[in-house]
Amino acid sequence: MYALKILTAQPQRAVLTCLGIALCVVLMLFLLAVYRGVSVGSLEYVRSSDADLWVLQRHAANILRSTSLLSERHGEVIRNVKGVESASPVLFLLGGVERGKPGAQKLVTTYFTGFDTAAGRGGPPALASGRNLESDSEIVLDRSFAAKYGFKLGDKLSVKGEALLVVGLSSGTNMFVIQYAFITLNRARRLYGMKDVVSAYQVRLKPGAEPAAVRTSIRRALRDVAVYDRDTFLSNNGQEMRSGILPLLYTVAIIGAAVLTAILSLILSVNVLERRKELAVMKALGAPAGFIPGLVIVQAFCLAGAGTVLGTGAFFPLSRLVERFSPEITTRAAPVHVAIVIAGAVAVSLLSSLLPIQRLRRIYPLEVFR
Amino acid sequence: MTSPPVAATHRVFKVYGSTGHRTTALNDVSVEAGAGELVLLLGPSGSGKTTLLTVIAGLEKPTTGDVTLFGKNVADYAPSQLQKLRAGNIGFVFQTFHLIDALTVLDNVLLVTRFNRQPRRAAKERALGLLTRFGVEGLAGAYPHTLSQGEKQRVAVARALVNEARLVIADEPTASLASQQGFEIVRLLRAFATDENRCVVVASHDERIAEFSDRVLRLGDGTLVS
Repeated sequence: MYALKILTAQPQRAVLTCLGIALCVVLMLFLLAVYRGVSVGSLEYVRSSDADLWVLQRHAANILRSTSLLSERHGEVIRNVKGVESASPVLFLLGGVERGKPGAQKLVTTYFTGFDTAAGRGGPPALASGRNLESDSEIVLDRSFAAKYGFKLGDKLSVKGEALLVVGLSSGTNMFVIQYAFITLNRARRLYGMKDVVSAYQVRLKPGAEPAAVRTSIRRALRDVAVYDRDTFLSNNGQEMRSGILPLLYTVAIIGAAVLTAILSLILSVNVLERRKELAVMKALGAPAGFIPGLVIVQAFCLAGAGTVLGTGAFFPLSRLVERFSPEITTRAAPVHVAIVIAGAVAVSLLSSLLPIQRLRRIYPLEVFR
Repeated sequence: MTSPPVAATHRVFKVYGSTGHRTTALNDVSVEAGAGELVLLLGPSGSGKTTLLTVIAGLEKPTTGDVTLFGKNVADYAPSQLQKLRAGNIGFVFQTFHLIDALTVLDNVLLVTRFNRQPRRAAKERALGLLTRFGVEGLAGAYPHTLSQGEKQRVAVARALVNEARLVIADEPTASLASQQGFEIVRLLRAFATDENRCVVVASHDERIAEFSDRVLRLGDGTLVS
């Protein structure tokens, strides 16, 4: 009660502090949601595939940051391995889409994914609008890529001077720094002059076939390939994604938490300094040892709690606003994120109380007699 | 004084500073204050009155000598026991009132009852009773900054008495008040000592309040003059 009354005695300061904390909470929630968004965008393609095995060039462990070059011959060998039902080729290429008016065009980079439409495997994991590819002259763009660069369904865009019709917009294909764009395998090979080249084969097994046994058979038949089961390949890609983005995320989150701690600690310290005389009076009157530090801790919890509630409430409309203005940013918030931020706020509250509590020790009851 | 003293000092010295810059605030001071009496420590500024009060209250240790509080040497109390003693048995009245700005008058009075975990309802009844007795019951919900100096000191006295203190320490309780307001405050303390058989020790430089006291102890340069 006393802690709250002392806080509300300076309403403007309390409100400003809560707003500062709320902004830090929004920042931390935003980072976590972006991480999840990137995670989904980076892994959804592999996660949604129904392939039992992935075959890549030897030493290539993922499709995010490694080069894998195989040929049609590899596919023929794989298809002949006992237990294999199908082997669908996919070709991944970094390339540019031209945007803007003729004569003033600029290239925007995308992650071309060429797949065999007849096999029906390797295409977009989900369509947000439009339809899948039916011919070599069509393209499916990631929806955030399309929004960012102003492409719509029915638009004709140019890749290496060749026109492609936008027939679909995909979701779960935004990797934050780059987005997938789906074209036919034939068109991908033709655009980049890579006849017969394949990046990976998505292998389906016949019912009853043992993945481990088939994997061994493929490796025996092809010495220059790496074969992964679904879970391992997903894990490899996840690890690659995390190693790229997590250090950045951690750094910014730690800076956010440090700013939050500093704000709270500063405000609580100012409160202690401003009320030095009153606190000395409390000590003189016989306040128990834990009473005054308790005031500081309760104040910290109240400020952090109010800031967290405010920040959590503001996060959802703010993240939608950010996504509207920067479509390449996809956020996916989860209840666990809110729980993490609440736990973080509790930790920050305790941490930020340390300095002001330390200051309390240098307040003496005798001060009130001077 | 027939009953054992509530507070007593025996040959107390209090010296501040290190060798070369030593200041003797109390020089061989022996005093006693018992239940039912108001003892006035009279002396000019710097005579050692406040130091003696803080030593009696156990807030400061004497350099040498003994201080007895409620029949026990203060040196034998643990810090936590002294804290409990102040919260439950000693009331304080300060020169500049020292009310908590963020709290209402009633909450200011109730503050010490929280320190020794008194039952809330009974404490509130006692606090309101004191405010009524001192004529400030209508200000229970007001904040200190809206009160006059006299009202503030009445509230401060109510705070000092709400824990049913056996000893009240008042440091220059009239110094910030006009004459009549000051006399009223001393009358309240006088009545408390007599009516409730409590011990009140007042430090002041104001000769005019001597008429309200049972005994006057004069201090000069840290020494008991008379």
